[in-house]
Amino acid sequence: MSSVQGQAIFRDVPEPPPRRVGLGTKVWNSRFDYLYVAPAILVMLIVIAYPIYYTIELSFFNTPASLSLADKKFNGLDNYAAIIQSPVFWKVTWQTVVWTVLSTGFSFVLGLGAALALHREFAGRALLRGLLLIPWVVSAVAASYVWKWLYHSDFGAISAILTAIGIIKEPINFIDNASTSLYSLIVVNVWKEFSFAMIMLMAGLQTVPDTLLRAAQVDGASPWQRFWHVTFPHLQGVSTVTILLLVVQNFNSFIIPFIMTGGGPVGSTQIWITHIYELAFLRQRWGVGAAYAVLLFLIMMTLGYFYVRALTKGDDSRAGA
Amino acid sequence: MTAITESAVTQRRGVGGWRWAGRIFLALLLGFTVMPMIWMVITSLKTGFAAMQYPPQWWPAEPTLGNYWRLLDPNGSVGQDFLHYFWNSLWVSTITTILAVAVAVPAAYAFSRFRFPGRNFLFFAVLLRNMFPAVVFLVPLFILMKLLGLVNTHGSLILTYLTFGLPLAIWLLKGFYDNIPVQLEQAARIDGATRFQAFLLIVMPLSTPGIIATSIYSFIGAWNEYIYAYTFLTRHDQMTLPVGIQRFFSENATDWPGLMAATFLMSIPVVVLFLVLQRYFVRALTEGAVKH
Repeated sequence: MSSVQGQAIFRDVPEPPPRRVGLGTKVWNSRFDYLYVAPAILVMLIVIAYPIYYTIELSFFNTPASLSLADKKFNGLDNYAAIIQSPVFWKVTWQTVVWTVLSTGFSFVLGLGAALALHREFAGRALLRGLLLIPWVVSAVAASYVWKWLYHSDFGAISAILTAIGIIKEPINFIDNASTSLYSLIVVNVWKEFSFAMIMLMAGLQTVPDTLLRAAQVDGASPWQRFWHVTFPHLQGVSTVTILLLVVQNFNSFIIPFIMTGGGPVGSTQIWITHIYELAFLRQRWGVGAAYAVLLFLIMMTLGYFYVRALTKGDDSRAGA
Repeated sequence: MTAITESAVTQRRGVGGWRWAGRIFLALLLGFTVMPMIWMVITSLKTGFAAMQYPPQWWPAEPTLGNYWRLLDPNGSVGQDFLHYFWNSLWVSTITTILAVAVAVPAAYAFSRFRFPGRNFLFFAVLLRNMFPAVVFLVPLFILMKLLGLVNTHGSLILTYLTFGLPLAIWLLKGFYDNIPVQLEQAARIDGATRFQAFLLIVMPLSTPGIIATSIYSFIGAWNEYIYAYTFLTRHDQMTLPVGIQRFFSENATDWPGLMAATFLMSIPVVVLFLVLQRYFVRALTEGAVKH
């Protein structure tokens, strides 16, 4: 593109003669561009780069609770070794995986169903969509308190409804019971998140060409066949982004487990994030907490790579203003 | 013509079954979605005694607005605190939103239109921020805020919330700008405008929906945020709503109706804001998410 003569009028800086342009020249040529991104980058640098650096540094130190942070002692990879060898780590990891996979899966499926059902125009559609989005907008704190009340072991409405229908006799202990607590929390998480998936997929559905669907219909395809062979392939891009976003969000979700159960009972709802919090803030084991955090960083970086790749496809065709 | 074609075809193909399945599914989903909120309101209308009954009263025998009056009464201690928290939340959220938009708009535009060395890397870095959980940054950020002298001030929250909101704001706006044809600015350039003038006079007015969507998202995010507010603010009079509410009700016996009333009041601004402006938000989100 830059070899076209007319391009010269679209740059504030005169087009350099076509030859190898060094990095320094490129940077100088784009110097005004950096002004646009400077404020954003500055904020991010201060508030992100320093903490990351400090966390990584801290992970290599031993920080006994009796000493202040300034007296930390270097102990190399000991923190990491301690983590991998501790059974708590594997339990928390498994719970995190269960939490993430089930939350993401159900949120996505519900969101897809809702998106498909809402795809057709009908009276009240915007209102319905708005109502379905309420859980996403409401604060996680509010959601946690309401569901805690709904799940209450003595006065909870859910137990009452189930008893009234006749399914159970006694109120169920949803969140005080180690075997059901994690799954009860997952329900809350899905309640909160599914409409996000719904919105993303609704957008994706709009890119499915209607003509293709109609042609398939005329050719005798059943609704299921139409979905599977026409709609679904078109949704793959949006689905990938949505699932990645959900996975990241769930991996990192803190408020619901923290407020509803605080990681209990008996650590059955402890996921990585709440565990890190407990280690660092409640048990003052900053070094180990930092080591966990670094491991988490690495996982997130990997996911992040795929995420950005999925998002920036097709970007280069838009250059040129 | 399309109406005739569609109804003729669907009658032949018997889509009826799927249509009804969709409707039942939506009804169930709506029930699932709305039920907790309804129960929240119902509980908030009960007195403490009425709430502690099992099986619960599906509708309070003596509905009362007492919980709400208590929270909103500027003369009572509860009301004073609550209103103060409300104001703090409002202040922090508004400032965060204004700053977020001011910073994100030029950055998003640059990422959309310009190609400069490091662009892809910077964009990656900006998006990457989204990946990192809030908790992980708590300790270093706390130390940083101490260094900057911002502990227990709203400034610490605003600065932190900015970084939460920025990646998504930039991503949303970039997607938005991607869908504005470059030809408009090129036409302006041919007519003699500089790049900055083209940005200001042509693109900015067109990006109103994107800016509204970004503002909504920033505001809601800041309003609902809990972890950092909980950690950075220990002084009672600085607290925002999500933290302040906890303070009321975590003692011996939780005052559930009061708690429900407080969470309801806390949720109203964001829900109303969102319902009113939802189409901007949905539009910007979807235009950002989908490549045309």
